[in-house]
Parts: sequence; C-alpha cells; structure tokens
Amino acid sequence: MQTDRLVDHLVADLVPVKPRRTSDDLVLLATIGIVELALFFLWGRMRADTMIALSLPSFWWKLGSLTVLTIAGAATATRSFDPLVSPRKGLRLLALLAAGAFLAGWAIEPDHVATAALRAISLWRRGLDCVCSMVVLSLPAVVALIVLMARGAPTDRNGSSLAIGATSAAWGAFVFAFDCPHDDPCYIAIWYLVGCSIVTLIGSQVSRRMMR
Amino acid sequence: MGAAQAGNGMAYRRLLGELRVWLLNFYARRLPPAYVEDAVQDALITIHEKRHTYDTARPFIPWMAAIARFKWIDRLRAMERDRKEELPEGIAIADHESAVTSAAVLDKLLSQLKPAQAQAIRLVKFQGYTVEEASARTGWSVSLIKVNIHRGLAKLASIIQVQAHAD
Repeated sequence: MQTDRLVDHLVADLVPVKPRRTSDDLVLLATIGIVELALFFLWGRMRADTMIALSLPSFWWKLGSLTVLTIAGAATATRSFDPLVSPRKGLRLLALLAAGAFLAGWAIEPDHVATAALRAISLWRRGLDCVCSMVVLSLPAVVALIVLMARGAPTDRNGSSLAIGATSAAWGAFVFAFDCPHDDPCYIAIWYLVGCSIVTLIGSQVSRRMMR
Repeated sequence: MGAAQAGNGMAYRRLLGELRVWLLNFYARRLPPAYVEDAVQDALITIHEKRHTYDTARPFIPWMAAIARFKWIDRLRAMERDRKEELPEGIAIADHESAVTSAAVLDKLLSQLKPAQAQAIRLVKFQGYTVEEASARTGWSVSLIKVNIHRGLAKLASIIQVQAHAD
C-alpha cells in the first residue's frame, strides 16, 4: 500500500526533464576551466620568465602532460556519471598516462637523477608552497565535478570518486604550471606528485561521501 | 521512459507499475524479505530522480538494472553497518582470575625447584598420574619419583614459609 502511495506521489511530481548529455558536462567544465585560467592570468600570477620557459622542453613536457591528464580525467569522470559506464578503464588509462609522463620527464633529463631529487627535496619550502597552490587551484574543479556528479547517476562509487579526485588534481596542477617557476623534471615529479596525491585523496573522499 | 521524460503521466504510471513488479522480483532474490519493500521504494525514488540520465537511444532495462544493482549494494552496506547481534543470556560466566593467578604463582614456585622435582610434582600432583605411570613416563624408578615429590614439596613449603615471613 505504501508503494502505491509512493507511485501516486511520483506521478504527481512528474515534470518534463531534459536528458543528460556527457558533452554538456564537458562544455560546462571547459567553461569553468577557461574562466578560472582567465582570472588567474588577470590576477597577474603568470610567471615572469614565460618567454624563456617557452623555449624549454621541460616546460612543454609539464604543460603537455598535465593537459592530457586533465582532459582524460574529465572525460573519464563525466562519462562515469552515466549509470551504464564504468570509470575503471579510464582510470587505468590515466595511470598509464601518468606513468608515461614520468618516463618522458626522465627522458628529458636522464642524468644525475639522485642529485636532482636531493636538490628538489632540499627546496621543501618552495615545494610546500607549490602543493598549497595546487590544492587551492583545484577547488573549482572539485566543486564543479561534484555538482555534475549529483546531477548524474554514477553507479561505481569508488571509481567515480577517484576519477573526480584525479581530474581535479590534474586541473589544479595544470593551472599552477603557468605560475610555477620550476622546470626541473625531478622537482616537478616530486612536488606535483605530492600536491596531486593530496587533492586526489581529498577530492575522492569528499565526492564519495556526497554520492547518493 | 522517453514519454515520461517528456512529462506523460499516464505512460509514467504504467512504467512505474511494471518497474515495481520487476524490482520486487529482483530484490526478493537478493535481500531478506523484511528489506524488499523498502528497497523497491528506494529504487523507485532514485529512478524518478535520475530519469533525466536515461538516454532514449539505448535500451531501458540495462539502465534500470544498473540503478537497481547500485541501490542493492547500498542496502547491503547499510545492513552491514547496522547489523546487530543479540548476545545469549548465558554469556555471563565467572571470571578465571583466581585460577589464572594460582597457575602463575605455582609456575613461579616450581621454577625454583630442581627440574626433576618440579616434573615429578607436575605429573603426580597436578596431572593425576600414579607414581608407577609417572615412573614409566619419565624412565625413573618409582622410589626416585617418590623422593623427588617428597623433597620438592618440602622445599616448596619452606619457600612459601620464607615468603610469608617476608610479607
């Protein structure tokens, strides 16, 4: 009897709805990303030596890797908001892309990795600044993805929340890459990994709790 | 569902009626009877709230089954979290504190005897072997077993006496 009343209630509550499209989500995310990047530049946070950095392969490696990771992550996350789509394959691809990015960074500067790692760790104050900036810059992506998740119907709680965390982390690091004065692959590998791991952890935990 | 997305109430009522039967069968095979009706209602509400995520270009059943399965897993998790086990009334038993303490004290006292004396006392006085059985078990003569027990007990008595004086 209770279910009969529920059916009556649901029918009475029926209003026309616009079917969800993954492409709409991606357009919305891209718009938010462009606005954030524009505000970031208007705020004057672009590095002063950008013209010099543009000639460095490590700068392009940093920017290119993060762009690819952000796009792949956004596609994985938004697709997973469809109840029939699993994010697992996309997450595996993301992991492979991240590993490929590390290998490419090592290929750019293969010598003296241990020395470079020690130097990067010794710059821990700057490293922590970078980590904090990445966390703050990833917040718009975390919020946007959680809103999109709530509008969608993800059915893989762990996978979708991990995709949200990873995408937000890649996005925060991507925006920060325009401000970061460091182009040493070892420094980037260490401190960007720390920043991305923190954002992934926070983003996935928050989104997981908010998923219904 | 396509018609329901456009706001057709009649089609939606028919769909919900059919869904209810399908969901009842689905959850009846997977949940305890007491949880089935709740699970059906929960799934119906979710399907209603998430109806915009259905793509009319694709089959309906897999979409609905994915949501039903998700809600089923959710319910299993909730059942796991809320699981309550009644304790049997006879679970309260006397504590073993005095027995444990006695065993520990005896072990400490026996450790102060010679190994042969301690073993003879353990076998005959604690474990209930006869002097002959203890003799066969250890390979010592019956008289040696008796002597070890006698001297061991005498030493234990003196140790206890000394400790009592010290306390």
